[in-house]
Amino acid sequence: MRRVIVAVSIAAFTALLAYATTVAGALGYLGLETRALARMFLALAYNPNLRELTAMSPAAVAAIVWDFRGVDTLYETVVFYMAIISALAIYRGVHKVGGGGSVGLSLIVRVVTKLLIPMNIAIAVSIAVHGHLTPGGGFQAGATLAVVSVLLAVVYSVNSFSRVGVEVSKAVALQSTGLIAIAAVVFTPLIYGVLTGAQAYLMQNYVKVDSGFHFPAEVLGQLISGTLIWLNIAEFLAVSFGFFTVFMLLSLREEVVKQPLLGEGHGS
Amino acid sequence: MALSTIERFLLTLTLYNLLVTAAVSIYGIVARPSLTKKIISLTILGDSLNVLAIFIGFRVFSIPPELVSEVELERFVGLAVDPLPQALVLTAIVIGLAVTLFLVFLALQVYRLYGTLDTRRIRELRG
Amino acid sequence: MDVTLLLLALFSTVGLVFTYLAVTERDLVRAVVYSAVQSSVYAVLLYLLRAPDIVLVYIPVSVGLYPATLLFLIGKTERVDGE
Repeated sequence: MRRVIVAVSIAAFTALLAYATTVAGALGYLGLETRALARMFLALAYNPNLRELTAMSPAAVAAIVWDFRGVDTLYETVVFYMAIISALAIYRGVHKVGGGGSVGLSLIVRVVTKLLIPMNIAIAVSIAVHGHLTPGGGFQAGATLAVVSVLLAVVYSVNSFSRVGVEVSKAVALQSTGLIAIAAVVFTPLIYGVLTGAQAYLMQNYVKVDSGFHFPAEVLGQLISGTLIWLNIAEFLAVSFGFFTVFMLLSLREEVVKQPLLGEGHGS
Repeated sequence: MALSTIERFLLTLTLYNLLVTAAVSIYGIVARPSLTKKIISLTILGDSLNVLAIFIGFRVFSIPPELVSEVELERFVGLAVDPLPQALVLTAIVIGLAVTLFLVFLALQVYRLYGTLDTRRIRELRG
Repeated sequence: MDVTLLLLALFSTVGLVFTYLAVTERDLVRAVVYSAVQSSVYAVLLYLLRAPDIVLVYIPVSVGLYPATLLFLIGKTERVDGE
């Protein structure tokens, strides 16, 4: 109870401070203008009249993530990959996932979860492939699919991973497949440029002022926004299976992992 | 278009609430002894700073930065919020989770080696 | 007056109160629950700030995966913060 009073008084103090600032007239710039940079991104996200500058994606955030500032996102994907690999490195001695006879939660919970998992997968795939048209994309879809791994671990026990055919090595392979697919899309213009002798840039999406190379913006009348859909799908693979590996290892019981991790010297 | 006093107060209050939330979570990271509590505080710190970044790009009377076909481009540019902080925060959230998972694995390893997650006891045990 | 601003101020205040409760709570499971409440409130904040992309990634990560991870950690280690 005392903590609630302290919390409320902190909130009240903050409100008082905000009121004082308002009366003093400071911070008058808040919440009215967008910056020139933001206007540029918004105007160029989907603009068929400016072929050399646009990303051809109605979702401005997806356009920034994979086109305007694509190299940043590539770098951040590498950071993500390194964090997952570092976590795996701690578990380097553990080879086998599974063992232990627990069967998870009650029948009702398991049946309901069995119904929920296909829906979850469908939503994740939908978020990934529509990322260039609506809110969504590879990161969102990957995080959504990662929920499936937690559901499997909590509701069905660790054994269910091997039962549905997901093992640590396979998940790492799929994660790496996603990363390699991103690299393939990124290097395609460069390889094209080397082969044909034409001007082309790393991570190029559409025609530039001095380069004619471009990915198809539309296929059969459907807007796919060039590299955006492929990068979203590849990122979806990388993020979701990165989380799958980690949650698989996290849900292992301590008795199983303690011996290989600590070795003989520490006693078990 | 100018904002009324109460609107400016509400915006300032939101900003200050986010800042104080960040401050409280920094207190949690620095002052609480348990490593688990430090990780919880770190997630709250990340959340509040991410929302703060989005708040910087926010404007009153706006629409999300997704172009809908009925809206003409000029009106869209004039109305939408800043999409750049959103694009940066998007990746930051996912990487934050991956880094937190790495920290959780480290904390588990600390528990296996020392038998406790209390940083004061860990310091004593190390001698 | 835009009702969005009122809701922004209200929900950020609730988030602040629950952050304080989460940071000072000694039972770590309860701290995780307070932190999850704070995350849910922040999801609403992000929606009000016109960021649907972030809401889509924030809800699974901060409302689903963070509490699950931390509960795994607490289940394998200790439940109390401090003496």
